[in-house]
Amino acid sequence: MGIEIAALTSFFGLTGAFALVGTVLAAWMAWRIVEKAGLPGWTGLGAILLTLTGVGTIVPLILLWIFAFMRWPRDEPGNGLGGVAGGGFAPASGPAPAPGPAVLAGPSMALPDARGWRLSGVLGHGGTVSLAVAGTSGTYALTGAHTGAPTDLTVPDPSVGQPHARLMLSGNRLGLEDLGSPGGTFLDGARLLPEHGPRDISAVRSIRLGSVELALSRA
Amino acid sequence: MASLVTWMLALGSLTVALMLVSYVLVSLVLIIPTWRICTRAGFSGALSLFHLVPFIGSFIVMGMLAFSTWPAGEAAPRR
Repeated sequence: MGIEIAALTSFFGLTGAFALVGTVLAAWMAWRIVEKAGLPGWTGLGAILLTLTGVGTIVPLILLWIFAFMRWPRDEPGNGLGGVAGGGFAPASGPAPAPGPAVLAGPSMALPDARGWRLSGVLGHGGTVSLAVAGTSGTYALTGAHTGAPTDLTVPDPSVGQPHARLMLSGNRLGLEDLGSPGGTFLDGARLLPEHGPRDISAVRSIRLGSVELALSRA
Repeated sequence: MASLVTWMLALGSLTVALMLVSYVLVSLVLIIPTWRICTRAGFSGALSLFHLVPFIGSFIVMGMLAFSTWPAGEAAPRR
C-alpha cells in the first residue's frame, strides 16, 4: 500500500512539475508575443497566469480572441515597423500648421531642406545603382525593368518586381509603398507589406528591394 | 453474440468519431484567433494548425511567434 501511495505521489509530482514548467514557458512566450504587437509584456504574462486561478482557461481564451482581433499599437501611426520612424505617410498639402508663437518659429520652417534624395546600392551581378529624386512632390515607380518613363526609377535586378514599389515625395518627406512584388520590400530589415500602405521613410537608412540593398541618403 | 459484437463495434466507432469531432471543434476555438495573429505577424495562417497536435502544438505556435522575427514588423521594444 505504501508503495502505491509513493508511486501516485511521484506521478502527481511529475505531472505538476511539467505543468509548472509549461506554464512558466507559456507565460514567457506570451510576454514576448504581446510585446512584439506593441502591448506591455505583463498583459500576456497575466493572461497565462490566469489559468492558475479559479477562472480556469475560459478567460485566457477570451483574451486570446480579443488580442487577435484588437487593434495593435504596432499598427498605430507613429509606431512604425521595428521602431522605424514614421508610420503612416500622408502627403503634406497646404501650409504647415502654425508652430506656436511666431517669434519661436522652428528652424525647419525658416530653413527648408531643399536637398533631394539618393538611393544607392550594389546589384546582384556586381554592378551598382544610384537613383536620385529631386523636387518637392511627385510619385515614382521603383521597377526592375527599364521603361524609359520619366517617373520610373530602374533597379535592374531580377529580384526586383516590375513595378516593385511606389516612391512618393511630398515636401521634405519621402514615402514608400510596396506593390506586392514576390521579392518583398524591407525597411531597415523590417518587412513592408502592401496592406501597410504608404510609409514615411524619411528616417530610414536602408531599403531592400528583393535582394538589392539600397542606402537612402540626402543628395 | 455476433450482433452484440457488431453493436459494440458500432458504438465504439461512434464514440471515437464524436471524440475526434469534439477535439477539432475545441481546437478551432484556438485555431481561428491564432490564424489571425499569425497572418498579422506576417506568417502563414496555416501555422496555427499546430494546435491540432496534442499537448505540444500550442507551444510550437507560441514559440514560433515569440522567438522569430515577425515578417510584418514588430513594435519597437518598450523601455
